[in-house]
Amino acid sequence: MADIHPLTRRLLWLFFAVVSIALYLPMLVTALASLSRSRFFIFPVSRYSWKWYEDTLASQQIEQAAITSLIVAVMVALISVVLAFFGALAFARYDWKGRKSFQYLVLLPIFFPQAVLGLAVQLWLNTIGVEMSWHSTVFGQLVWIAPIATLVVAIQVFGYEPAFEDAARDLGATRWQAMRDITLPLLWPGIFSGFLFALLLSWSNFPFAYYTSGADVTIPEWLHAKMIGGYTPMVPAVGTLSIIAGAAVLVGGFSIAAFVKAILARKAARQRPA
Amino acid sequence: MTDRSLEPTMVGAPAYQGEYQGKSRDEASRKSAGLVAERLKRFSGGAGMWSAVPLGLLLLAGFFGPLLLVVLYSFMPRGSFSPIGWPTLENYRDIVEQNFYISFGWSLAMAVVATILLLLIAYPLAVTMVRLAGKRADIYTILIAAPLFVAENIRLQGWSLFFDKAGLLDGASESLFGAGTGSLVGNVPIVVFGLVYVYLPFMLFPLILGLTNVAPDAREAASDLGATRFQIFRDIELPLASPGILIGTLLCFVLALGAVSEAKFLGKGVVIPVVQDIDSAFTFGQNWPRGSALSVLLILIAAAAIVVVMRRVDIDRMFTRR
Amino acid sequence: MALLELRKVDKFFDDFVAVDRVSLSIEEGEFFTIVGPSGSGKTTMIRMLVGMDKPTNGEILLRGKVINDVPANLRPTCMVFQSLALFPHMSVGANVEYSMKCKGVPKPERRRRAMHFLGIAHLPESYYDKPVTQCSGGERQRVAIARALAFDPEILFFDEPLSAIDYRLRKVLERELKDIQRATGKTFVYITHSLEEAMVMSDRIAVMQKGRIAQIGTPHEIYRSPTSHFVSEFMGEVNSFTVRPDGDGRLVDLKSGRTIITVPDATPADLKSGVLVVRPEDMLMGRQIPAGAACVLAGRIVNEYVLGSRVQYQVKAEEDLYLVEKIRAADDTETVGSEVEIGWKPADARIFAEPMQ
Repeated sequence: MADIHPLTRRLLWLFFAVVSIALYLPMLVTALASLSRSRFFIFPVSRYSWKWYEDTLASQQIEQAAITSLIVAVMVALISVVLAFFGALAFARYDWKGRKSFQYLVLLPIFFPQAVLGLAVQLWLNTIGVEMSWHSTVFGQLVWIAPIATLVVAIQVFGYEPAFEDAARDLGATRWQAMRDITLPLLWPGIFSGFLFALLLSWSNFPFAYYTSGADVTIPEWLHAKMIGGYTPMVPAVGTLSIIAGAAVLVGGFSIAAFVKAILARKAARQRPA
Repeated sequence: MTDRSLEPTMVGAPAYQGEYQGKSRDEASRKSAGLVAERLKRFSGGAGMWSAVPLGLLLLAGFFGPLLLVVLYSFMPRGSFSPIGWPTLENYRDIVEQNFYISFGWSLAMAVVATILLLLIAYPLAVTMVRLAGKRADIYTILIAAPLFVAENIRLQGWSLFFDKAGLLDGASESLFGAGTGSLVGNVPIVVFGLVYVYLPFMLFPLILGLTNVAPDAREAASDLGATRFQIFRDIELPLASPGILIGTLLCFVLALGAVSEAKFLGKGVVIPVVQDIDSAFTFGQNWPRGSALSVLLILIAAAAIVVVMRRVDIDRMFTRR
Repeated sequence: MALLELRKVDKFFDDFVAVDRVSLSIEEGEFFTIVGPSGSGKTTMIRMLVGMDKPTNGEILLRGKVINDVPANLRPTCMVFQSLALFPHMSVGANVEYSMKCKGVPKPERRRRAMHFLGIAHLPESYYDKPVTQCSGGERQRVAIARALAFDPEILFFDEPLSAIDYRLRKVLERELKDIQRATGKTFVYITHSLEEAMVMSDRIAVMQKGRIAQIGTPHEIYRSPTSHFVSEFMGEVNSFTVRPDGDGRLVDLKSGRTIITVPDATPADLKSGVLVVRPEDMLMGRQIPAGAACVLAGRIVNEYVLGSRVQYQVKAEEDLYLVEKIRAADDTETVGSEVEIGWKPADARIFAEPMQ
């Protein structure tokens, strides 16, 4: 029989639960460590305190890193989503000569070790004489993140019926009108996911920031430096805050999406004749 | 068929364009249906190319340019800081003579083991997501994907705090059973564990995509024709899911080959992966050509794997689930 | 003994009754069709018959043995799926051979038998190595049939395999299927929503409505003597009148108050109110109407539809629309706008107690 045996089903769910917990375990440990008063993490924790968070919030250096990270993430997400929108159309919507090659081209950077790619970008920018700063980090991260955002949008485009756009053109819409009235609204969920993906991937990205940011420091870079230079409980504190920020964006993003969907559904229900 | 579908174009298009775009009626009415259809088709072709331009330019400037430069540098004399000079193979000779192949070997071995483990772990998870999760699959997908948005450093540091001496595991077992586990970091298996942990989503999502391509009907039909569970798995499920399996395997292998943080934070220096050697060559060693030569070798291995796998995968078919 | 028998079979999905106390028996060598509109429970029926679902209550018997709990892969029956479910990564030959491969039949023998079944399904032997993805719709259909036949099933089930095929090809395949059934002597159980399709192929037809069997009979019986308003309407559009008896053995049309003459035994004895149905092809027009017709109405033709050799008129009489169908003749004078009289013979009217829900 093609069905899965009930016992197997239960085992599969059990395994799924164990792995899911394991995925989040290190983050929980990090949060725990950040609340331990002692200089080194020792379990069981003898004294809890908010001291490391107070230190973190007081630190100018961390504040600056957070601002840099945020600017980089927003820039990367905005540029990615524009590139990804058009890229996804070329990837999945239009039937053109170079399409197959373009698809492989887009996939290639994703299939590349980020550290090697980061180093190569550093070498390249150095050679052509670009001053390294957060600007170059945006460029470096785009090389890896824009293709991923393109894939995310492309998944939506693959489910999109191109006849809609052709029909709009056929009814007299200009290229721009068809794009604005038909393509964009229908692809909106994919574009939004792509934006969210890019924002979060940039926020957590280390290799490109490490090799291409020059004197500017992002949060993952700051963490790395402290981890290498000697453990301080501010590392888990900053880590935890960074996780919370990411989670907030993720939850917030999906809430907005769900909210908009609900509003549209209600609007549609009201417009339908009783 | 064709005639009828073009009728609205003939009747409708000139009128609409005349009204809404303010074009002269003459110009508009000169378009016959055939011409409009031709234009639509050409528009579609040109639009494909034009849409590809922005991303294409970025990849040209940020991916191919740098990689080409790395290749150029790898043929420069030791310690030179310019890609223009008399080409030489001495960097590649150095790699063999100065035992750099050891880090290569470690990276390759760990990547292979981690990829095999990932296949074994992610496959049942993918089956759960595709065949059991039903409507809640979206939520589980987010659950699994969310850790990707936390910096690798933080998560590996978390595992280190879990496994290290006086860490969560050691401390907990000490107070529960009176005997601690001691330090479990600083060995090769824990590095492989780190690789498996970090790259799990990169194996899982392609597998899910692959398994979604296995039509439930095909499975039922095979069962109806007398196939056992194992025969269905071997003859139907594996071949139909193979594009996803191949992509996941490739992705994880290449990424694990280029991984460095796992050895740093969990291995505590017990093994040196090849990327760390590359990094040192560029930074401490100030020997760009050597770093480039090592990178080129890594790139070649990755490229070979990509070419082998991608020739068997049709990207359109994979995403459209036909 | 019947080959396949259902005894009071139910299937519930939570509170929803998909199949409701169905009993029927299918004989060996029969072409049996289950037909019904979407939602009538026919798909649930076939899934239970094949073994992909279990009945909630009741028994399914194959040659007198209860097989309720026998899963699909252990039943000696086989199904042609609506989607055909051809294995897209295999050639035509590999698809046809698959069941034999599962049984461990050696390769040369498999190939020989596959060729035989390709022939039965009207496919050339050269198709053996062709990938199924390169086959046309009709060819894929034949591959699916060959694959199912190669399993050598006791019963071959079909779940609307022709529904996605265009009209002309469907007509060809319907006949081929009937020929294959006759040639192999296999029992075919076919599911479709099209009564027209069922009529062409079947020895017997079961019409389903809301999880129950509305009528079982030969195509002729279903056409000539439908036992309910539902079955008569399922065949195609009909002219219906809500009627009640006037106490003297005659019927009164509730809407117009007109008395309608019927043959005496056509009216159910205890009828309180009912529906009188006349098929468009039984309607008469103009000089066709003989003396003593059941009812004669004067009206005007508002629409005319040409159906090949036949023609259908929509006639408006007393604010109601009626359908009249007749064979086209060279001397037809009626056209849109013509004033005509329409009527029917009492024997052609059918009366059903309950109006269709």
